[in-house]
Amino acid sequence: MTDASPLVSIRKLTLDATTERGPAHILRGLDLEIGRGRILGVVGESGSGKSTLASALLRLLPSNVSRLDGEIRFDGTDLLALTDSAMQAWRGVRIAMIFQDPMTALNPLFTVGTHMVDVLRRRFPELSRREALARSEAMLVKVGIADPRLRLKAYPHQLSGGMRQRVMIAMALSVEPDLLLADEPTTALDATVEAQIVALFDRLRQDFSGSIVFISHHLGLVAELCDDLCVMYGGAIVETGPVAEVLRAPRHPYTRALLDCEIEDGDEGRLATIPGEVPNPLSELTQCIFASRCAHTADICLERHPPLAVMGQGRQAACIRSAEVLPSEVLP
Amino acid sequence: MSDTARYLVSRFVTTLLIVLGAMLLLFTLSAIVPGDPATALLGPQATAEYAKRFIAEMGLDQPWYRRLPTFLGHVLTGNLGTDVLSGRPVAGIVGAVLPYTFILTFASIGLAVVIGVPLGCYAATHRGSALDHALAFISVAFIAIPSFVIAIFLLLIFSIWLDWLPVLGAGQPGDWLDQAKRLILPTTALSVGWIGFIARLMRSSMLEVMGENYIRTARAYGLSDRMVTYKYALKNACIPTIAVLGMGIGRLLGGAVLVEIVFARPGLGRLIFDAIATRNFPVLQGAVLVVVLIFVVTNLLVDLSYSAIDPRIRRDGAPQAAGQ
Amino acid sequence: MNALAVTAGTIRRIGSHLGGAIGLVIVAVVVLSAVFAPLVATHDPDALDVLNRFTGPTAQHWLGTDHLGRDLYSRLVHGASVAMAVALTAISTALIAGTLLGILAASLPARSERLILILFDVVSSFPSLVLALAAVAVFGPSTLLVVIIVAVTLIPHFGRVARAQVLTVRNAPYIEAERLLGASSWRIVFSHILPNIAGPLVVLASIDIPVVITIEAGLSFIGLGVRPPLASWGTLIYDGYAYLSDSKLPVVIASSALALATLGFTLFGEALRDAVDPRLDGER
Repeated sequence: MTDASPLVSIRKLTLDATTERGPAHILRGLDLEIGRGRILGVVGESGSGKSTLASALLRLLPSNVSRLDGEIRFDGTDLLALTDSAMQAWRGVRIAMIFQDPMTALNPLFTVGTHMVDVLRRRFPELSRREALARSEAMLVKVGIADPRLRLKAYPHQLSGGMRQRVMIAMALSVEPDLLLADEPTTALDATVEAQIVALFDRLRQDFSGSIVFISHHLGLVAELCDDLCVMYGGAIVETGPVAEVLRAPRHPYTRALLDCEIEDGDEGRLATIPGEVPNPLSELTQCIFASRCAHTADICLERHPPLAVMGQGRQAACIRSAEVLPSEVLP
Repeated sequence: MSDTARYLVSRFVTTLLIVLGAMLLLFTLSAIVPGDPATALLGPQATAEYAKRFIAEMGLDQPWYRRLPTFLGHVLTGNLGTDVLSGRPVAGIVGAVLPYTFILTFASIGLAVVIGVPLGCYAATHRGSALDHALAFISVAFIAIPSFVIAIFLLLIFSIWLDWLPVLGAGQPGDWLDQAKRLILPTTALSVGWIGFIARLMRSSMLEVMGENYIRTARAYGLSDRMVTYKYALKNACIPTIAVLGMGIGRLLGGAVLVEIVFARPGLGRLIFDAIATRNFPVLQGAVLVVVLIFVVTNLLVDLSYSAIDPRIRRDGAPQAAGQ
Repeated sequence: MNALAVTAGTIRRIGSHLGGAIGLVIVAVVVLSAVFAPLVATHDPDALDVLNRFTGPTAQHWLGTDHLGRDLYSRLVHGASVAMAVALTAISTALIAGTLLGILAASLPARSERLILILFDVVSSFPSLVLALAAVAVFGPSTLLVVIIVAVTLIPHFGRVARAQVLTVRNAPYIEAERLLGASSWRIVFSHILPNIAGPLVVLASIDIPVVITIEAGLSFIGLGVRPPLASWGTLIYDGYAYLSDSKLPVVIASSALALATLGFTLFGEALRDAVDPRLDGER
């Protein structure tokens, strides 16, 4: 932890995709830093661009992407400037990814062992098959899989969803990446299994020295697990900062609203909602992205979308009226 | 493991049912022949004495419920009856020509797979390339044009016009080179349609598989394009092709009959054709039964290889192949 | 819904691709010659003229004559009639029987449904040509037998699609609503399900046309289908093939005609499928 510079620093990351109704703005100029050894939680509603952000970090994007601009500096190297084959060298070496749906993320015709050995031997070509198998076995033990030898010979359909996600996690950790992307790794799982996987992540932090980007639509989960928080809305980042502080005193009305949803949801079993609809990705950004749903919209909010502004130590928010409507001393 | 066992048993039962069905069908055909069976089966030229021997031979003087068990029993013990013309056992006659048809059919399937699979993979991984577009058109032509028409064209071009290859027959026994040369045109004629079909099928299933999440996983871990395509995607993409091959064996055998006739090759097709021309019903019956058996056994083998590839196969068996 | 407008739109979409346009032209030529064969033909297709055998193309015989001096062009045109007649009767028989069986399968309990499906599997994957030969051997060759054999082998095609379509349509909300309103099963089948599954079945029928043409020609080629002197493309090819040493022209012409026809109908069928099923758009 001697190096204070962030592991990844993203500047003006912009991504458009062609759709039947014209170009859609999926990411609208993101600025974000991922600290070394830290867990960054990315939250937002579906369609906020959080999964696309993860795919962009790996440069594993669907074919309808028409524009990808900006910078993703990973330890000083701009990933977006690399050739396709140079980018390939980063995947599965310095960056690893865990996907949302463990049911389809593994090839049904190959055993767990085949997947893990192939991935390991691509990362460490000097490993023999036998060594790779031994390492995979140890990795499975680490993620809490009993009978690892048996599981290595199992096909994906013979494992439960939670077990498959553990395999995915073991695979991701086995390549010893500097950056681990977890794209809603618990969304497709049952609530009890979800809790187990979150507990697993929590436990694995101690061994894992790299950074993690944990994407979720569940603020409570992120609060439990992460160091930093990044709140996305309509393809833009509206607030970032250390988790505890952001949750204690949000500086953007959207974060506040999200927090209220969680609290009411937890306390009374009634799902609080934010009135209005998510912004249309086809429209240009001519006003604050949250203006149509914000309770505090004023004329000044309709003039332009405010950029992220520093608001205290390590904190940023994209709200012009933040100081006015969300005084920092207010506690929930 | 018990799932696999149950699947195997059910496949086996279905296979037996098909064979039994074919036998019953053949038996029924011979039983419902309009008019006097001996005349109908032997033709009007047969002498009375000959017809009498034939009737006794076939057991045609017995009622059908007596004949059926005898027929089934004979077939099950490998006794396909006796050729009424030559007096030789049908099993021997069929056995003598069987290798020719075997070689032709399997050479054709082999050729179709060896050319069709890589072609389809290439088109899928180079979508929009010149070869992809060419393949789109050529494969339709290959699939559409009947194999016996292709056989005639090949014969006209390579044997008559260019005089490159010998045409008719299967070649002298023992002369391997001659036999191989005479195999080229029939094999090509029979496999052309399948090349087009397999290439197209491989292309579309490859494209579908390439969009699957597990391929994204493989790419996310930086596995090389070669490994992603030829290890992780190819196996999945082959499943529909294998299923179609199994279902297509029947059509291939049918096509082989015509191609054998065009090239005057000995084989089951030729045998059946001659048996019909000479109204030699026992030979016809035996040959058809053997064709059905080949068909059923290859189908079973295809199915087993299928379950060896796909561990998810359950007793419900293979998912239906699209189209055809 | 104006059926005519829909058809016009579909035809325009078929014609908009090169393959579809070629198919459309060939299909139009074949169908028109088949329907107006007596008008289009220049000669009686069976009229012998032994003094003018193998003439080659002349002003009188556009495509020349065969080994008996019959006009090849007129025989081809009449062959189109035979091919179309066989295709039409066999496919419509299979279409009706298959659809009914498919609907029946979808509405039967699982066990009986499975039985029908297994039957479909067996029939459609059987070496049907070989069994057809056995039938021909017993009953003697005839056009009717060809139609029956082809129809039986095609029934499973339609049965499977009809069943799958019924299963999809059956759970649609408007069918549920209809059922709640007390409509009888038959009413639902005829007024809602049949119109909905008609599209895919018509596409399937058109894709099967070249298959039927091939089987008919194949059987006739080996003398087990349409009986001479009736002109079928298969018998024309056989006649040409048998007299190959005298002239190569008749076999080349007849084979090319058959190849063009099957290619045209295949291109047409596939273009029709793409035009009717937008899911396949861009997929070729």
